Amino acid sequence: MQFNSSDSGSSLQSEINITPLVDVVLVLLIIFMVVVPLLMEGYDVDIPRASADTSAPVAESQLILGIGATACPILTPPAGEGIPKDCQVTLADQKIPVAELPARVAAILRGRPAEQRALFLAVDDRLNYEAVLRIIDLAKSGVEDLKIEFVAAN
Amino acid sequence: MQAAINITPLVDVVLVLLIIFMVMAPQMRKGPDVNLPNTTKPNSQGDERGRILVSIDEAGGLWINDQSVAAGHFDEALRAAVGAEANPKIVIRGDAKLNFREVREVMVAIEQTGFRGVGLIAKRTGTEGK
Repeated sequence: MQFNSSDSGSSLQSEINITPLVDVVLVLLIIFMVVVPLLMEGYDVDIPRASADTSAPVAESQLILGIGATACPILTPPAGEGIPKDCQVTLADQKIPVAELPARVAAILRGRPAEQRALFLAVDDRLNYEAVLRIIDLAKSGVEDLKIEFVAAN
Repeated sequence: MQAAINITPLVDVVLVLLIIFMVMAPQMRKGPDVNLPNTTKPNSQGDERGRILVSIDEAGGLWINDQSVAAGHFDEALRAAVGAEANPKIVIRGDAKLNFREVREVMVAIEQTGFRGVGLIAKRTGTEGK
């Protein structure tokens, strides 16, 4: 290793060249100023169509996930991460613990074409909003491109 | 002779600006402070500019962008916010403490104004978003 071969005779250059560092820091600064405060994350959902055809026939293939306030009593924001284990949801008329949801949804929807990978949610009004989003999150973890649509709970 | 510019003050100033912006960033958001629900893997909803932000605060109060809106005037306020935009993207920032009913009612109100899809905004567990 030779440190001083090119400019023999001159004194040792010990300073780090910081010009690229300053460049990078300034660009990072601009990125932070412009982008970071304004990015959002969330879930795309379709809205229940309340104003029109509520009596539209339910297609055979519709996968309906029912979340009731008695089987899944989460009425206040759940503590910590995830959903409490005592929550049970109804998937295609079958009662299952919420932990099984990703695997079940994936098993049912795996064979379908992408545009039919939709989950229809019937959610009890009394449930906590954060819990509902966490259940949507759980369902989506099984199927990447899952479409979420709300239907009226009965 | 020392030919290089002394950049230490410059770096100082830049770093301080960086810190100021990082601290101020959450307060630059549109709309009220909303304690967003925590989830593990929310998808990107893009930049909040160019979106219409419908916020529902802890008490159930409605906001469109920066404006507090009475429930009775929600429809016309939303139409005014959309204006002439051809393909507006509406997102709902609902507080984690809300019941699903309050969010559903807002979704129905949005649907009655003529929009089908919305984004439900969450924050990734462990991040500091507002």
